[in-house]
Amino acid sequence: MEQSEQEMESTPPPEVYRKPVNLAAALAICSGGWLVPGLSHILLGKWIRGVIFAVCVIVMFALGLGMHGRLFDLVVEEPLQIFAFIANVGVGLPYIVAEKFGLGIGSMSITTYDYGTTYLWVAGLLNYLIILDAFDIAQGRKP
Amino acid sequence: MRLSHFEALFFFAMIVSTVFALITKNTPREQLRYGLFVFVSFLFVALAVGWIMYPLPL
Repeated sequence: MEQSEQEMESTPPPEVYRKPVNLAAALAICSGGWLVPGLSHILLGKWIRGVIFAVCVIVMFALGLGMHGRLFDLVVEEPLQIFAFIANVGVGLPYIVAEKFGLGIGSMSITTYDYGTTYLWVAGLLNYLIILDAFDIAQGRKP
Repeated sequence: MRLSHFEALFFFAMIVSTVFALITKNTPREQLRYGLFVFVSFLFVALAVGWIMYPLPL
């Protein structure tokens, strides 16, 4: 009896999978997560994870802007910029706000330009991964 | 904002490894171990490649 109690204490708690929500609700949650990084996890009840994701993405985005990185717009004349735009826009609302205030112009003469631009891309791409993670949780595929 | 190469690498590795660890692992212990592994790997590989390229006339 005592041994079994000890075994129970040493074993990790079972992973709890969510009951899947319907597809429309999952997509709505993911849309929220795209607009505000980390919001999808917060909506799914994973507060700590959501806050950490939000801090990571927003700090990375802010560092990218601080290092004079460039935010790319959708320019039809330059089709290769579409990939950069897709990466940038992944960060959601911060991208829209930064564009609104004229941030992210980028200055190639500054040594941190390349780093800043990479930070801005990766912030958006990380947010895509975070949204996919939230979708899996909402569908009950992950604890 | 002026960050050195190493500082830019450090913050990049820290943020990306944190997100990777939280996405790919489920328990806090696994997340910590994997996050540290990815973080150290980022730093080690970057420094190693930097030293390998050092003698090259680039």
